[in-house]
Amino acid sequence: MSQNRNWLLPLSAGALALLIVASLWVGDLPLSPTRVWAGLWHHDELAATVLWQIRLPRLIVAVLIGAALSSSGLVMQAYFRNSLASPGLLGVSSGGAAGAVIAIASGWSAVSLFILPAASIVGALVATSAVLILARRGASTERLLLAGIALNALLGAITSYVLTGYTLTYERNAQILFWLMGGLEDRTWEHVWVVLPVVVVAALLWPLGRSMDLVSLGSEEAQSLGVDVRHLHRKMLVLATVLTALATAVAGAVGFVGLIVPHSFRLLSGPEHRRLVPVTLIGGAGFVLACDLVARTVGHLRLGIVTALIGGPFFLWLLRRER
Amino acid sequence: MPAFVPTPLYLVLMLASAQLALSTPIRVVSQTVGSDELLLAVAEPSQIAALSHLAIDPSFSAIVKEAQPYPRITPGGDAESILKFSPTLVLFANYSRVELVEQVRRAHVQVIVLDRYATLADAYANLRLLAHALGTDARAEKVIADCTHRVATLEAKLRGVKPVRVIAPSIYALIPGDQTTFQDLCDHAGAENLAATIGHLYGHVSPPSEQMLTWPVDRIVVAGFNLNEAMAPLRNLPPYSLMPAVRENRAVLIDPYEISCVSHHRIDGYERLAHELHPEVFK
Amino acid sequence: MNALEINHAQVPARLDNVSVTLGVGRVVGLIGPNGSGKSTLLQVAAGLLPEGKADVLWHGRKLEEIPVIERARQLAWVPQEARFEFGFTVRAVVAQGRFAHGDDERGVDDALQRLDLWSLRDRPVNRLSGGERHRVLLARALATDAKLHLWDEPLAQLDPRHGLNVLALARELARAGRTVWFSLHDLRLAHRLDELVLLQRGQLRAAGAPSTVLTEEALADVFGIRLRPAEGFDLEIY
Repeated sequence: MSQNRNWLLPLSAGALALLIVASLWVGDLPLSPTRVWAGLWHHDELAATVLWQIRLPRLIVAVLIGAALSSSGLVMQAYFRNSLASPGLLGVSSGGAAGAVIAIASGWSAVSLFILPAASIVGALVATSAVLILARRGASTERLLLAGIALNALLGAITSYVLTGYTLTYERNAQILFWLMGGLEDRTWEHVWVVLPVVVVAALLWPLGRSMDLVSLGSEEAQSLGVDVRHLHRKMLVLATVLTALATAVAGAVGFVGLIVPHSFRLLSGPEHRRLVPVTLIGGAGFVLACDLVARTVGHLRLGIVTALIGGPFFLWLLRRER
Repeated sequence: MPAFVPTPLYLVLMLASAQLALSTPIRVVSQTVGSDELLLAVAEPSQIAALSHLAIDPSFSAIVKEAQPYPRITPGGDAESILKFSPTLVLFANYSRVELVEQVRRAHVQVIVLDRYATLADAYANLRLLAHALGTDARAEKVIADCTHRVATLEAKLRGVKPVRVIAPSIYALIPGDQTTFQDLCDHAGAENLAATIGHLYGHVSPPSEQMLTWPVDRIVVAGFNLNEAMAPLRNLPPYSLMPAVRENRAVLIDPYEISCVSHHRIDGYERLAHELHPEVFK
Repeated sequence: MNALEINHAQVPARLDNVSVTLGVGRVVGLIGPNGSGKSTLLQVAAGLLPEGKADVLWHGRKLEEIPVIERARQLAWVPQEARFEFGFTVRAVVAQGRFAHGDDERGVDDALQRLDLWSLRDRPVNRLSGGERHRVLLARALATDAKLHLWDEPLAQLDPRHGLNVLALARELARAGRTVWFSLHDLRLAHRLDELVLLQRGQLRAAGAPSTVLTEEALADVFGIRLRPAEGFDLEIY
């Protein structure tokens, strides 16, 4: 039966490659394949600008946040032993949102392209530290969950306050809402640099796969089978948090990726994390890239809307299937 | 509002590079409705490559008819949707998305970001700035002269007139106080914006609902296309539904774009509001 | 040398100064009413309750001095509840018992067959009945090849055939020099084991041979029942 599943990784990689090609080709400015080729080699100035300054950064950010959010969701699902867990459970993305919203409302985000992502990361880290402190050392997963719920509520309130009570101009409100929906418009190479550490973090995740198998079936059982659960849990939490924080910082609050992708690939590829980690990384990258392609071609939707429109019904279908 | 570059230096640099670029045909894309209005006032038709998607929206644009023949950028579009018009110059406001402005700059296209648009004087300055970049200074001067004349005429008519006390309620639980385009309208139309004078409010903020009931509001100013339709939601919405001015239908209507206009077309709003509030002066 | 030694186990609101010693090659029962602290005591013995104060020794070695990975090779712990969220196959879960042995496959197939799981080996564990899931946990414990086995209510959901099979398995392990300590509710069965440990409200009430532990007085006091050993109907495990 495991032979069946070995095709999934090459298939996903192939799909990702196709999506990358499509993402270079598709855009508001129509470019023929020859112009795309010429642009890539800098032979055609306008095409080169469009490809190298607009489409390529956007494409790389999409791939990296797709990988980040899906692997973060995978880790959360193993951590909480629940296939419905998602990266936002512990308030990381709410913290990132609050940080970004404050940066936009105060006008600081206009000063430099790095400020908005930086504010978002600060917000995310503050939120996570708050959760960890609230939950204390050796906290059970239940306590962490509750702390996350409380934090999500608090941060949501801060965001709402800023939105309704603080902005001087409607345009800033519009920018905030724009960011909150999650999207990849006009991503620059600065955003690529901010989100590039995802590659390192994902690499750190890979060797934890076998231990995650055990821990996902029970932390005490895993402890008695030889897994140092406290250290592993700490590593998992840190990695998931960093991945989510980085993704939120450059793309806003994009939902459903961290829930849908690991869940679906687990159904297709089986629950073994050594196989699931790489497949989720690639599959997640492809999923976000595909959603972004849809977002761009179908009347300028935002990425967060597309992932929700696809993710929501898909999630309901999954729930029906299980029962 | 923090200006992210020192504006005078910025303008000088932009103007300098504009001079150098004058040899190639100028194609301008405008990304905001405010810059649309400025552009149409001073540019030759052949210089206009594309306007914002709001240019033909009567709720926001003063120049719906004039804007019809020109192409428009897709709403919410990215840098590509601007670059596909092959512009040599793109107009933004300081509330345009930073990433969008940056992406257009990196495509080596000249960019002008308008960050002062609160008063009529700002509008004149923007007209001159834009006209200079396009080589149409004479047009700007003519527009400004016409505007100055209109404002002076209006001012003369309204001399000695007792200001009408007004507020401009909206259904979004926000009301314009001091330092808004509405305040500017009031200042030039013989009106007193109670949200500023009694309420001491700045910008678009939530009004003190209970205290508002005690304000001596003479007229309500609403924006819309039909007075009854514009007033209807207020008749059911506290605290407005409880105010005498609303119940007695003491309201005036102005066009939606007039209440939020940042270009020289705000003078339309001055005149409209003045006519509505002081009809006796215009007989 | 004792297989397991617990000295003065103290867990707030659960265990009060409990000390137990188990010899090598024994099948020992842990009995007591619900809430008497049986699960907690097994967890303390397994080193899973760091917040409880206890002095625990495995085969003469202090627990704190045994690294986590080696503990897994020495002791197998089976929890009371078998909840599997994800669909690993039965074989994959049983093979997890070899984690501390570098994930070799030794003994996995034997464990599957011994617990009558061979026909179910490719079934996802989250699609098993309660009894089947418990057998998976036991097979995993067997696969660890540990010298000390602590099982929390292993017989609770098993039908008579499988329940007796598990008891036979315990007996085999003991004959091979290992020690099996498990909690149970069936007092007639308890009577057939080598030793018993009786808990009442977090305290050690008695420990030793079944005849000394299951006295009329203890049964009446701890369980509130009137029973005594009698001739006649008797079960022997072979």
